[in-house]
This record gives sequence, C-alpha cells and structure tokens, in this order.
Amino acid sequence: MMYLKKLLLLSLLLSLTFTMFAQSGNDATIKGMLKNEQGESLAGASISLPDHTNKTVSDHRGQFQLKGIRPGKRVLIISLIGYKKYQLEVNAIAGETATVNVSMQADMKHMEAVSVIGRTPLQNVQRQAYNLTAIDAKKLHNTTLDLAHALDRVSGIRVREDGGLGSRMNFSLNGFSGRQVKMFLDGIPMENFGSSFQLNNIPINLADRVEVYKGVVPVWLGADALGGAVNIVTSNVKQSYLDASYSFGSFNTHRSAVNAAYVANSGFTAQLNVFQNYSDNDYKVRVQATNLETKQYYPATWVRRFNDTYHNETLIANVGVVGKKYADKLLVGITLGQNYAELQTGARMKTVYGELHRRGNIVMPTLKYQVKDLFVKGLNLSVNGNYNLGTEQVIDTVSRLYNWFGQWEANTKGAERERSLYKFKNNNGIGTANLNYRLNEHHLFSVNNVYTTFNRKGSDELFPENAKYEQPQKSFKNVLGLSYQYDYNEKWTTSLFAKNYNQVNKYAESYNPTGGWGDVAYRELSNKMNNWGYGAATAYFLLPTLQVKASYEKSYRLPEGEELFGDMQLLEGNVTLRPESSNNYNVGASWQTKLNDDHRFSVDANFLYRNATDFIRPTLNRNQIKQSNENLGGITNMGVDGEIRYSFKRIFTAGVNMTYQNLRNNTKFESEQKTVSPTYRDRIPNIPYMFGNADASLFFKNVLKKGNHLTVGYNFQYVHEFFLSWPGQGTAGEKLTIPRQFCQDVNVVYALADGRYNVAVECKNLVNNRNYDNFSLQKPGRAFNVKLRYFISKK
Amino acid sequence: MKNLNRILTLACGMAMLGVGCDKDDIDAIYDFGDRETSGKYKYVITATPAGTTGIADYLLSTDQLDNGAITTAGNGIEQDGSYRYYMTHKGRFFSLLYGQGNPGAVTTYRFDSAGSKLLKTSEFQTETVQAFTKVNDELLLIKIPRSGVETASFYRIDALKSQQIGSAAINIVQLAANGERAHFTWATQVGDKVFAPYMSIKGCCNDAFGTVYPDSTWVAVLSYPDLKVEKVIRDNRTSYIGNYFNDGLGVTENGDIYGFSSAIATNTSKVISTKPSAVVRILKGTTEFDKSYFFDVEEASGGHKISAQTYLGNNKFLLMMYGDKHANTGNRKMALVDVAEKSFGWIKGGPEDIQSSSAPYNNNTGSGDGELGYIGINTATGSWIYKIDIKTATATRGLEVQGGKITAITKVEY
Repeated sequence: MMYLKKLLLLSLLLSLTFTMFAQSGNDATIKGMLKNEQGESLAGASISLPDHTNKTVSDHRGQFQLKGIRPGKRVLIISLIGYKKYQLEVNAIAGETATVNVSMQADMKHMEAVSVIGRTPLQNVQRQAYNLTAIDAKKLHNTTLDLAHALDRVSGIRVREDGGLGSRMNFSLNGFSGRQVKMFLDGIPMENFGSSFQLNNIPINLADRVEVYKGVVPVWLGADALGGAVNIVTSNVKQSYLDASYSFGSFNTHRSAVNAAYVANSGFTAQLNVFQNYSDNDYKVRVQATNLETKQYYPATWVRRFNDTYHNETLIANVGVVGKKYADKLLVGITLGQNYAELQTGARMKTVYGELHRRGNIVMPTLKYQVKDLFVKGLNLSVNGNYNLGTEQVIDTVSRLYNWFGQWEANTKGAERERSLYKFKNNNGIGTANLNYRLNEHHLFSVNNVYTTFNRKGSDELFPENAKYEQPQKSFKNVLGLSYQYDYNEKWTTSLFAKNYNQVNKYAESYNPTGGWGDVAYRELSNKMNNWGYGAATAYFLLPTLQVKASYEKSYRLPEGEELFGDMQLLEGNVTLRPESSNNYNVGASWQTKLNDDHRFSVDANFLYRNATDFIRPTLNRNQIKQSNENLGGITNMGVDGEIRYSFKRIFTAGVNMTYQNLRNNTKFESEQKTVSPTYRDRIPNIPYMFGNADASLFFKNVLKKGNHLTVGYNFQYVHEFFLSWPGQGTAGEKLTIPRQFCQDVNVVYALADGRYNVAVECKNLVNNRNYDNFSLQKPGRAFNVKLRYFISKK
Repeated sequence: MKNLNRILTLACGMAMLGVGCDKDDIDAIYDFGDRETSGKYKYVITATPAGTTGIADYLLSTDQLDNGAITTAGNGIEQDGSYRYYMTHKGRFFSLLYGQGNPGAVTTYRFDSAGSKLLKTSEFQTETVQAFTKVNDELLLIKIPRSGVETASFYRIDALKSQQIGSAAINIVQLAANGERAHFTWATQVGDKVFAPYMSIKGCCNDAFGTVYPDSTWVAVLSYPDLKVEKVIRDNRTSYIGNYFNDGLGVTENGDIYGFSSAIATNTSKVISTKPSAVVRILKGTTEFDKSYFFDVEEASGGHKISAQTYLGNNKFLLMMYGDKHANTGNRKMALVDVAEKSFGWIKGGPEDIQSSSAPYNNNTGSGDGELGYIGINTATGSWIYKIDIKTATATRGLEVQGGKITAITKVEY
C-alpha cells in the first residue's frame, strides 16, 4: 500500500508529455528524453518493455528510441542506477511514434526532504563504483570557505596549515599526504599551477562540486596518484549567470569573487572567474620573545604577528562554443594570477622574520575540447591542455634578526635566512586526452592519457656568476590508462583498469675533465622509468537504499619536478628517486533509512587498507642543511571512517563523521641495518590519526518576507592529540605532542528573493580555542566575517 | 515548537563541548639558582632511533658505560628540532640546535642535586653555528658562512647564566688572503688565547668546500675576549687541521698542542691533497709550528688517513682512520697513537663494520688516569659503547644502546 502511495506521489512529480506523430507501417515506435530533477540529461539508462525483447539505452543527450513495438497499451520500464525505477504505460499505435519525456527521480529519499548541507554524495557521481565522497559546493557558496577548508570537513581528510589565510598547507587523505594525493581541476591535474592558484586561495564559489576519490582513482581522471585524488568541478551550467560576492572580516581580511558566464543561443560562450584574497593575518599568538641583547627568552606573552600579509589575485577567462556538432565544448582560455606572501616564522615559532617574503605568478593558457558521438555513436573524446609560464621568487635581502616584538638587530648574513632573489620558472605543461566508447548499456571502454613536461630555469641577480652552473633540469611523464566498465544491470556495476606510468628525467652531473683548478664540465644524464598499475572497482545495490562497494588499486606515483630538482629553497632535489607504489583496498557501504517521513537517516561507512612501499620520504641531505627525499621503507594503514546524518522535516539537519587511521611503519630493516628497526610497527608520528566533524543546521523559510530564508549553521571540528615524534621512543609523559584541537564555527545566512541576495555572518573558532596543526605553529583565534553575495541566473 | 527547543538545547550542548581548556604550550623550566656542583658525574648518551629523520636525539642518562644495556624505547628526553650538538661545561649540558641557516636555539640542562634526573634549566637563542668550544667560564660559538657573506661571527655565552655577553666578527676572506675563504674547523683555548685552525675553501660555484690550496696548514691565534686575529701560524708539510665540524687540535698535559690533518682537501669533490695525513706540533708558549716534529700517520698506518681524534691523556690519542687507503672513504677503523713517541697501533677487538661513532669533539668520558677511554660505535648489528684499554690498545664491548645510533657521549658533573 505504501509502495502504491509512493508511486502515486512520484508520478505527480514527474513531468510527462505525450505526443503523437503520424507514421507509416504496422509497428509502433517509442522515443523519448530522460532528465533528472535538475534538468540535466541522463545517459546510460536502460529502457525496456516486459513483453518485448528489444531494449535500448539512453545516449548522452538523454534520448532514446525503440522501434518495432507491437501496437497496443505497452508498459515501458526505465531504470538507471541511483534513480527510482520508473514504469509508464504507453499507447503504441501502429505506424506512429509515441514520445515520452521523463524526469527521473533520485533514489535517495532524504535528498528530496531536506538540503543536507555540505557533504552529501551527489547522485550522478555516486553511481560510480569508486570510494567517493562529493561535496556539493553550491550549498557552501554563502560561506567564506576556500576549497581547502571545505575539504577539511570530509571524513578521511585532514588539511593542516601553518597559520592564517594563504599560509602553507598540507593535505592528507587516509594517511597519504602532500603530493601523494593528486588534485584536479575539471579533470586536469593541478600539479603545475604554482603558488598563485592553490586549494587554499581558491574560493568555494569557483566550484560546483568537489569529488574526493579515496584510494582508487578512476582512469578518466588519469595521472598518477598514490592514494587518492580530489577533483574540483567548476560550474558547467549551459546558461548565463552571475555570482558576485565580497566578504570582510577579522585581521583585515577582504575577499571577493565574481563568477559569470554568458551563453548565447548560437552556442557562443564566455566564462569569467575573478577572485581576490587579502589578509594582514595579524592575529595574536602566545610566544616567548627574545631579548636581542642577551638572547634569553622573555616570559610568554601575547603579541600580534607583523610580517604575515598575504594577498592573491586571479583571473580565469574562457571563450568558445558549446553544444555544436563538431564540439560539445570548445574553450580557449587563460589563467592569470599573482600572489604575495610574507613569511612570519620558520619551521618553528622561535624563528621570527620581519621582512622575508615570496611572490609568485601564473600565466597559463588553456584549451578544453569535448566532442560527443565522434565518428560513431557513443564515442566521446575530450582533450585538454595547459602550459604554465609563471614564476616563483623568494626575497630575502634584509640583514636583520627580528624578535616577536618586531625589534631587530643587524646580522652578518646579508639576509634573515639565506640571501636570495632566486627566481625560477618550471615551464610546466600538461596535455590530457580521454576517449570513451559506450558500446551499449552494458559496456563502456575508456582510454586516458596524461602527458606532463617540466623544464626548470632560474637565476639569481645577487649571484650572477652562478648562472653558468645552471644545468638542464627536465622531466617528462606519461600516464596511460585503459578501463572497461561493465554494467550488468542497474544494481551492479564493475570497472577493471590498468595504467602505464612512464617517466624520463634529464639532468647533468658535474665532473672535472682535467683535474685542474676551476675546470668544471657537465655531462648529461637521464633516468627512465616504466611501471604498470592496475585495479578494479565494483558496486552493488543490496537494497534500493543500501549500496556496497569494493575497490582495489595497485597504484604508482612518479616523483615530481620539485622532488627531483628541489624547490631552490629548503628542498634539495634527488634525481635518482623512483616511483612510490601502494596497494589500496577499500570496502564501503551506504544506507538510507527513516523512522517515518519526518525523521530520516543516512549512514556511510568505509574500511580501508593501504600497503605502501618505496615511500618517498623526507630526509636531511649530507650537509644537513636542506631537506631531500629518498625512496625508503613502507607503511601500512588500516582505517575506518564513517558518517551519520539525520534530518527532521525541512527544519533541521545534523551530521557527524569520524576517521580513525592506524598508520604503521612497515620498514623492518633500515638501510644498511641488520637489526629490526626500533620503530618497526610503531605509529607513524606527526600525522593526525583520529579526527571528526559534527555539524548542524536550522532552516527557517519565509522569514520576514516570502522567499527570504534564514539558515543557522554550526560546525565542530575535533582532532585528537598526536605525537610529534615516534610514540614508542623516549620517556612517556615528557614527549612533544600536537595538542588536541577543538574548533567551532557558527554562521547565519539570510537569503533574500530566493537566493538572489545573500548576507552571511560567520564566527570562526567561537570560543577562541588555541589551535596548532603543526608543532608550535599557532593558528588564528576567534574571527568574524561578513559575506555579501549576489546571484542571478537565466533559466 | 517542542522539537525546536530540543534542537536548541542540543546546539547549546554542542557549543559547550568545545569550551575545553587549552593546555599551556610553554615548557617547564627548572631553576637551580647558583647551586654548586658536587664533583660527581653522570653520563649523558645522545642517540637517534635508527631510521628516524628530521628528529633530534634522545638524551639518555646512565651511571656507567661498562656493561648492561640502555634503550630509547620508552626512555629518554625528547628534544625539539632536527639536528643538535652538545657540550658540557660547568655542570651544564648544552644542547645546540643546528637550525639550517635559521637562528638556532640552545637548551641548557642540569641534573638535580641527587643526580637522578636531567632537567631543562634554560633556553636561549643563537645563530646556527659550525664550531663551538669552552673558554674560561664561557661558551664560544662561531658561525662561519661557506658562501655569500664574508664575515664569521663569534658569540660569547656565559655558561652559568646561559646568556650572550658579547660578540665579534672576523672577515674570513681577508684572513685567507688567497682569494678563498678561511673556514674555521674548530677552536681550542690555549692559555689566554683561542687557537682556531681553518681550511681554505672557494665558497662558491656549487663547490663551496673545494680549494686550490690543498697542501697548507693554518691556525689563527685569536685574543680573548676581544677576538682579534693576532697571528696566523702556517705550515706546508701536511694539509689543513681538522675538518668541517671536526676538531683537529689536542692539548696535552704539558701544554703542547698537537694538530691532526686528514689531508683530504678536495676540488670538485675529488681529494687533491698531495701531502700525507699527519700530526704537527706547536710547543707550549710558542706560536710557531715545531719544524723538528712531524708524525706521518699515513705512512705509519700503511696508507690510511685520519678521520677524527679524541685525546685520552698521557699523549695518547684515539684516532678514527678511513678504511680505504689514501682516500676519505671506507668504514672507519680505530687506532691509538702516542704523539710524543710517534707510535701508531691499530686497536684490537673493535667491530669491523663501524658505520659511525660518537662525536669526538665533546667526548670527555676518558677515565683521566691513562687507563680507559670510551667511544660509541654504531654497526649494522647494533650500537655499543666500546671501552678502550689504553695500555693494551684493546676495545671491548661495554654498555649496549638499543634502538638508537649513538651520536655523542659526555660526562656531566652534578
């Protein structure tokens, strides 16, 4: 009875048109168009009739056609993973074509009830067999979050940062961190974007959604990643819109963003994204300042940071056409940006700088091309390319020693840290190509290729004589992926894939050809590497509301240019680095349930296991001056993460997620050692291993005026205390730790005229907890922000 | 409405949850005032767990070095920073942070009056230095740039108060006067002067430590406390004394000064010294090399060069020798020399595969009566303190240090 009622309700929500066309012949034809509730075309749905053998699958425009239908009243069954199966009676008339337009409804009941803020897996991506979490970025567009901080609320992810806006950050996913996790922007690797265009300076408004792939990275994303990937999907709406926002807040922080698109009926398209961040970051920290005379430390006191200003400005412009036969999308664009960052401290807050700063810029032409049904139906091609001509520079020319009071004395170094005006370009280019062929509703074949170039060039005007010692520093990477996806039915899908990793590095080695003084010559050397990785992913709906997933990947990650050739600052290159590899296993389940129509729950749980070898890990170089990287040892990680969400009518939603990861050192013997390493199986230090988030939102409709809505949101973040160094070493109770962190954020959003005008007030770190992500580096205390946003879109 | 109230109560509860008290981040500092030391000693062994990187040593304290075992597992004081160097003076144990170009920091420790626990007594800021020594009641720290700036900086630290009391600078390019830079290898108090041997280095061109002067010896004589260069003592029978971060001078009981040269000066990373690795002498009260004295250790050892030296008393020095002949490579081998008699002998009973050993510049653990010396040795199968019987030139295993590579052993008065 319930089922019938639901069906009835369902059919009310479905839009359905029924038209007849005259046609000759004895059989009837049924054609139609499938869309989701957002009006997006649905490809890959299977359409069948119970009393017929012929069936078909919808194409990328959501269209389908069934011929040879015996006349009469026929039942049409439409099914697609993640959507409610839909049945419909069609009156097939001989010689005529019946047209049906169906709006399919997502099969997640709580979705229709309440907007679940933040981290609801979106239907169209969740159908994949990969272990995936997607953030609906649109729901965060009224906040002042950047991409990094939005990701920080996802289970399994921890973003650690050194300080305030724009500060150095490190992203970790299930225990893999830094470059081991690959970042993508619309499927294009972000590895060459430089400091001016990074997760922590891109406002959330640039993104439509953010997808997090844990452990197994699908072939269509391409590239090499050891333990997962993050793909930022920017707005892909084929309509004109304008989204402009400005926010200001504590520490003289100003941010603005304008995102706009214009789509003409002819298919001509122009897109513009402009954003800017500025902050003095002059938040107070509790420190011991030095007496410049005696070098002793004064007692701890609160001081304001004074050399921490950060700003960046970025413009992304694209022009081209959409919806043409020759190009579903053809966009030529450019990304222009710059950033300026003052550096207040070294790796510890005991090291204070007063003038040291860095600059960077990005000048990156881009090309995006997509075409569907190339040569044959079902064959889709996309090609992307970009080349970054940007530069990076560290400026350290002031010969002073500062203390926390901003006082200074002259030193003899000619610099605060290391005298430098070194400026370099990495000349990074990336080309990606992705070819898909959907044979029919069951079989999908994909080929993906990503090619990356790196050609470091640099000089320092302070040391012009060093220019002649600059030597080739080049790296070429190619990652080729092949995959096959088998969709048995709407309940079960499986993917198999293989990836080939290929890298060539070119560099020079110095030698003395004659043995005479100053006689230096160089010989060019090159390293070549070739590896195969592979994997599989499968997902099955046990119940319409319960999906189970399992995936495995033998992954490789190729060392990047900076690891091979250094960052010209603190990281020294190691050209002999080999790829690191890992066996990644994931098992997960996702379940939606409800007590009644008012109380709904969703539960997601994931179990994962990682076994990584040839880990690229930092060591100190021979002089112990700089950091270098080595292929050394391995780790295992057995982890669980889960999320429970609850919603009550359309009034309230709340969720909690927790992550626990058991990262263990799996290096039994250190190099040149015959005894078992004292840290074998010890917990990997200085990585958070237990953390979680809780959030709650209250929604008030039609506040003061119809169409004006008020949302009150709360977010709580918790990170368990963890050790800076190996837990098993040293006297317990006297060890250095990163204290447990609590951080509470509250926001109130008032949206007027159904979201055209928005005003948001936020308070971050409500009770002013003192937080440290990294040892001794203090993060900002309580901060307030106000954000004003205007959004208009042409339907 | 009832529901709304419930929700609001829940929200308030959640907010309260976060109002936890934050722990204070400033470490405890113990103040012993001007407590005099008792003349009793304890040993501090510094050890880094094998395979750890970017993490400073653990400080282990022990009453003896002769037998038993000590471990870093669940034991030892953890320190901040990545690389640290040590010195004991006036009953204090100083741990110097090597800040990789950044300002460094020095942490001072003392044992409590019962000698049972090593406690932090002070912290102060310094530059990252490449040489340090004891002068009177002070520490003298020397920062020597290997490129760029041409001034070496000297910092005088009051060892009792742990505070800086003076500084001085010396132009090292002018001092070298050969187009290269004078890079002080170490410094040693001799009478009321400081003797600072140096190596000549190019300081540029991706070959900072390379030189074209591989066959000369220099010792700068500095006044104290104003640290003016009074004289440079020169020689050309061997190469420079000491090495980067390596003390090459020893003063015997009668006041004579012996200088140890490895003769491994390089250019583009190739050894180009043509003179042998040897010991030279400056007689007490003079500021000239004793031309009548030359101890060709390379010849006496059958072709091996000196890597490092530790004075054991009675003219006896413990030498670490490079394993490969006429080269600066190979596993180290231990030897005992008597510099007055110019006698050389390999030490028996030591391990074959010495991967590294405890620092020589701060090793003050010798028994002082000419009987015993101690050295920490790390091998592929483990780490031990070896006891050196000076009379028989024999090494035997003493205290085992489990889990950690020994970086230094020192004797601290409390």
